[in-house]
Amino acid sequence: MTVETATAPTVLAETPGRWERANKATLAMLGVTVVLFLVFGIAAPNFLTFGNISNLATQVAITLIVAVAMTFVITTGQIDLSVGSTVAFVATGTAEMLRAGWDSSIVIIAALVAGLLWGAINGWLSAHQKIPPFIVTLATMSVIRGIAQMWTQGFSVPIDRRLFVAKIGDAKFLGFSALAWIALVAVVLGAVLLSKMRFGNYVNGIGSQEESVRRAGVNTDRIKMITLMLTGLAAGVAGLLTAARLGSGSANSGQGFELTVIAAVVLGGTDLFGGRGTMVGTIIGAVITGVIANGLTLLGVSPFLTPIVTGLVLLIAIWINLRGRSLADLFSHLTRRS
Amino acid sequence: MSDTSLVTLRGITKSFGAVQSLRGVDLTLGPGEVLGLVGDNGAGKSTLMKVLAGAIQHDSGQITIDGRDVRFASPADARRERIGIVYQDLALCDTLDVASNLFLGREPRKGPFIDRRAMHAKAAETLSELHVRVKSTYQEIGRLSGGQRQAVAIARAVSFQPRVLILDEPTAALAVAEVRQVLRMIRDVAAQGVGVILITHRLQDLFEVCDRITVMYEGRSVEDEPVSALDIERLVAMITRSNTEEAA
Repeated sequence: MTVETATAPTVLAETPGRWERANKATLAMLGVTVVLFLVFGIAAPNFLTFGNISNLATQVAITLIVAVAMTFVITTGQIDLSVGSTVAFVATGTAEMLRAGWDSSIVIIAALVAGLLWGAINGWLSAHQKIPPFIVTLATMSVIRGIAQMWTQGFSVPIDRRLFVAKIGDAKFLGFSALAWIALVAVVLGAVLLSKMRFGNYVNGIGSQEESVRRAGVNTDRIKMITLMLTGLAAGVAGLLTAARLGSGSANSGQGFELTVIAAVVLGGTDLFGGRGTMVGTIIGAVITGVIANGLTLLGVSPFLTPIVTGLVLLIAIWINLRGRSLADLFSHLTRRS
Repeated sequence: MSDTSLVTLRGITKSFGAVQSLRGVDLTLGPGEVLGLVGDNGAGKSTLMKVLAGAIQHDSGQITIDGRDVRFASPADARRERIGIVYQDLALCDTLDVASNLFLGREPRKGPFIDRRAMHAKAAETLSELHVRVKSTYQEIGRLSGGQRQAVAIARAVSFQPRVLILDEPTAALAVAEVRQVLRMIRDVAAQGVGVILITHRLQDLFEVCDRITVMYEGRSVEDEPVSALDIERLVAMITRSNTEEAA
């Protein structure tokens, strides 16, 4: 600041160090993951076996697929509470369509389109009709599951194990399930979209100051709508895979799934107020939620303890994520009209 | 003036609900001209400039650029006409880095991906040319000082090579030396034929760089005078309308 040299550049394009760039919340959670692996590894001798790690990857896969999409939604400062219901809707739809004798290829496409369509409805109502996404998805959460329940009258619909869709649920490559591989593809696509493409820049920008992005000539309503369509599509994939894995479609599947997904994203360090999304963090967050459920099962504790622990983990995650801001601020942020 | 004018606004009106912010504004700007736009708080200066930048849409009235009638449905439309603006609130994104803000909405790409290396190199070059002092283009905007943020916002508007450059209170957060820099930049771009509209409360700056001054009052354009015909007392009287008989 003191020496005035007219020719030297005043600004450098030098990359800051890894430590400076790293999301500190994500680093903290990476530490938590390591600790969890150590604790369960010592407490349950079969925890750190290849078989269990592969099993863990399968358990985490469905959460992770939706969490990747949810990272975009939360980074824009929105929320999607309807993903669990969309999972149930698509799972029952998949089972019903297969029972009606549709070919697996058509069923897969129809399942994805159904998820995308629910996402588009959420997106249109919140981005274009300016109803807060918290309210929109709270309402559609009820509507979508209600339709699935009415459709099946509450019964679980079985899927013929010989069908291609059912085989996806059992398929394995290189020791890992097809589900785990699909989740890996979703993560890679999500990471590229978030950090390497304009879309990702705008998603972060919208979460930070939407009006600034709009004034830069970007159609922000369209971007916000697309993020909600992404969670819809991801929930469609998750619903299809849930049906494939369980060998049936039930309108009661995916209860509380939205909480697990949101917990995973928030645990990873993505800011609930928007503006700061991290895909690596989302993987870590999903692994943490999965490891807790998996480890507790191996330790032989009551399965009813899992939702209690998941809820507590969500609470702690939000507590850390708020970083001094109040919960009332968060609520008014999520329910405001943009 | 009218046949060589770059921008002409005629009878622009804009209401927000029951509040009528603009009640019919006329304004002209020639190429290479520096126009000062003044008026008390709430006179509608910023709203008018947002209309010209496409950030909000006017209700009635006409915008003419190079003799063509235009209507901006979005900021992208105005940008296509090469209208650059530095908003009063700067319109930056706090969690994005300096280069991302500088290139927001027009990031250089390699295939479908942002070419970050090129973006940061170009950002460093642009900012250095304009003597902006920022440690690194990778710094987050939210971590910069008010003056640095304002400098980045100005650099962004200038880097579009605009034909019309709108500056809404561009010097509010700047130190004395930085203000001189901005005023020099205004004279430089005007010398290249860019039409500049300057909104500021620093009246001495207006006398330094402006060719002409338009005064707004309660949503209307009420006066339009060359700077040579004004002195600071007369200008203050025009803004506050304390001396109505001189309106002619």
